[in-house]
Amino acid sequence: MGKKIRSHKAEKVLERLQKKMNRQIAGSLAACVHCGMCTNSCHYVLTNPGDPTYAPAYKADKIRKLFKRHIDWTGRVLPWWVSAKSIYTDEELEELKDTVFGKCTNCRRCSINCPMGVDFATFNRMARGLLVSVGVMPEGVAVVSKDQWELGNQMGVLKEDYIETVEWMSEELENELGVEGPIIPIDKEDAAVVYSINPREVKYDPRTIADAAKIFHVAGENWTMPSEGWDMTNFGLFSGDDDLGGAVARRLYDKVSELRGKKLVISECGHGYRSTRCEGPNWAGMDIPFEMESSVLTMLRYIKEGRIKVDKSRNPEPVTFHDSCNNARSCGLFEEPRELLNLVCEDFREMYPNRTENFCCTGGGGAMSMSEYTNRRLKSGKVKADQLQATGAATVVTSCHNCVDGLTDIIRHYKLGMGVTQLVNLVANALVIPEKPVVVAAPEEIPAEKKAIPVVAEGLELIGRKVLVVDDEPDILTFISTVLEDHGAQVTTAHNAEKAIELARSVKPDLVTLDISMPGKDGGYVFETIRNDPDLKQMRVCIISGKPELRRLIYDRAVPPPDGFMEKPITEDGLLINVRKILEVGAAEHSPDSA
Amino acid sequence: MGEQRTINKTVLRLIKDDITDIAVEAFVYYATEDLALGSGYGGAISVRGGPTIQAELTTLAPIGATEAVITAAGEMKARQIIHAVGPKFQEENIEKKLRQTIVNALKLADEKGLRQLAFPAMGAGFYGVPLLDCAAIMLDTIDNYLSGTTGLEEVIVCLGDSRDYDVFAEYFAAAGKAREASNV
Repeated sequence: MGKKIRSHKAEKVLERLQKKMNRQIAGSLAACVHCGMCTNSCHYVLTNPGDPTYAPAYKADKIRKLFKRHIDWTGRVLPWWVSAKSIYTDEELEELKDTVFGKCTNCRRCSINCPMGVDFATFNRMARGLLVSVGVMPEGVAVVSKDQWELGNQMGVLKEDYIETVEWMSEELENELGVEGPIIPIDKEDAAVVYSINPREVKYDPRTIADAAKIFHVAGENWTMPSEGWDMTNFGLFSGDDDLGGAVARRLYDKVSELRGKKLVISECGHGYRSTRCEGPNWAGMDIPFEMESSVLTMLRYIKEGRIKVDKSRNPEPVTFHDSCNNARSCGLFEEPRELLNLVCEDFREMYPNRTENFCCTGGGGAMSMSEYTNRRLKSGKVKADQLQATGAATVVTSCHNCVDGLTDIIRHYKLGMGVTQLVNLVANALVIPEKPVVVAAPEEIPAEKKAIPVVAEGLELIGRKVLVVDDEPDILTFISTVLEDHGAQVTTAHNAEKAIELARSVKPDLVTLDISMPGKDGGYVFETIRNDPDLKQMRVCIISGKPELRRLIYDRAVPPPDGFMEKPITEDGLLINVRKILEVGAAEHSPDSA
Repeated sequence: MGEQRTINKTVLRLIKDDITDIAVEAFVYYATEDLALGSGYGGAISVRGGPTIQAELTTLAPIGATEAVITAAGEMKARQIIHAVGPKFQEENIEKKLRQTIVNALKLADEKGLRQLAFPAMGAGFYGVPLLDCAAIMLDTIDNYLSGTTGLEEVIVCLGDSRDYDVFAEYFAAAGKAREASNV
């Protein structure tokens, strides 16, 4: 019988396996006694009870057999005894990819429930890294990794777009609070706090930047946001690429050092916090000369020190809290968010199980970027849906942007009708703004374009603005149209892509609110058509979608990005805030949700 | 101002910047065979340059490994882009292919009469070429090419962050000293 020929990629994977082996991984790979304690810890197993391929021990054995065959002495001497097997073909690498990327979110719930201390997530991550090193990975992982390697953030936000968004939020707050000068200083040296964020905040949710800025401002903090090295997320944690992990972490650390910042505050993001605060120094091989802190701790400290005052009656709705895997299980951050919630909300209800035993939102480990596994992910979300529903809460709060997206998807899929928000939004909403003298701007300081807008009664500020509302769902068309017409806008509607393009050309609206998912040609087609049409390309577009995973249909297009993004379900206040911001119409500060 | 030295009459310079946002006659994009711009620098090219670049590439695709093509740069600060297909993810003969890719990009620049060309860290980062290997291969290959006949007046190696820059600068300095020593 001839010797099996190993593919070049398989050869390289095995070469790197030797280099990646450390005591933690070797210990985990050697220690499993197949007791099965991990099995019912996994949300994939609980939702696929007849399929053993989801069991953590089964998945682990796919990696363990390589360890036994190539590293552990037992496998080299008695391979048949310990199920030691090698890997030979590219097809086998693809099968391994399906397991390590498509059947696990690296949430570590099985790890903490293993009596032998086997940390499956750690060697699952290592296996991901081995595959990534030979180019075997889901397409979404490749897209996001390349963005973060080359543009410094995992959503491909360009520097000018980041700066513009931060300045926009700063100006909004200056108007709202009646303050002159930038509320969000960029690249200020010797600041007590350098604030880093998730690029999702720039692209989809700038309200969280404004909310954080309002809190820093009212607390009187000496703070800044960096112009570069601002992305505290780190796709290296998900892809298993330690080099990427180190490169991303170093960009942050270098920038804080360059600015001589005293403390790096990390906005609410589970994997960002773990990567930046806990793993990054090792990946980057650096000693960090400044403190690092989650913004949850920062906000809690401000309240305790009396630097900000909050009124919890402004958040009367019942809320529950979802512990992010990376925050709770990997970093021990689970009591502080509850303490903060109880200070800013009237009705906080626990979800069960919780803290380190909480179930994954299903979006962890980069799962939101791997569209080929969406059906599996949503099916596995039944556990989370049941947890959420049992709380009876109207809103679920989480300190993680991945979880926001994962939970939003689960809530929509299982029709739970709940909202999703973060602590920063609730703290900002409860924030008591100290009385200050009203600053009246001199007439000559009013920008010309604002002078041109006639002063109208409150509630009719959209008079004279033409809005094209595009959505295939009649209820949503009616809702959005009614809200905007009630505030004075002249609204036309389209229920499909062809009609939308026809009306965009004939009506020339000031704003198009555009649903992504429609039968036939979708919103992405309409958006690209508008942006590529010389007569329409300056038209302002606000994307509206109930499917976060479809954002890529818009943002991956080779055209300038949309002017706004809203997630369904849409509230009246949320719609008006966004429309006012995009059309640069004042009065955003009149809304209680104003950011 | 970064490290620089002159080889024959051509200046070879290291800078730290976003290569898709610099004013240069042409820069190199590390492309794939199908010439789809994709994410990362490709995404930046699409957004900053507009859709005409991908449209032009579509008429040129596909091309083979180590080959290069040139397009206009749309609305970018640069005027042209050389799209060069380098090796990826530990593939076989990676060093040889990377050298050939760099040489092909330089030759194409000369054929088109360019005077200034910027390279990124070719193959480092996402495609996994170790940074020190990348620095050694790139700087040696460019140095060797510029030692021959060329119309290029300036070649820039544009590094995205200080992690990349520091490794290149160290190799650049060491190679410069070695060159001086051999000339003594």
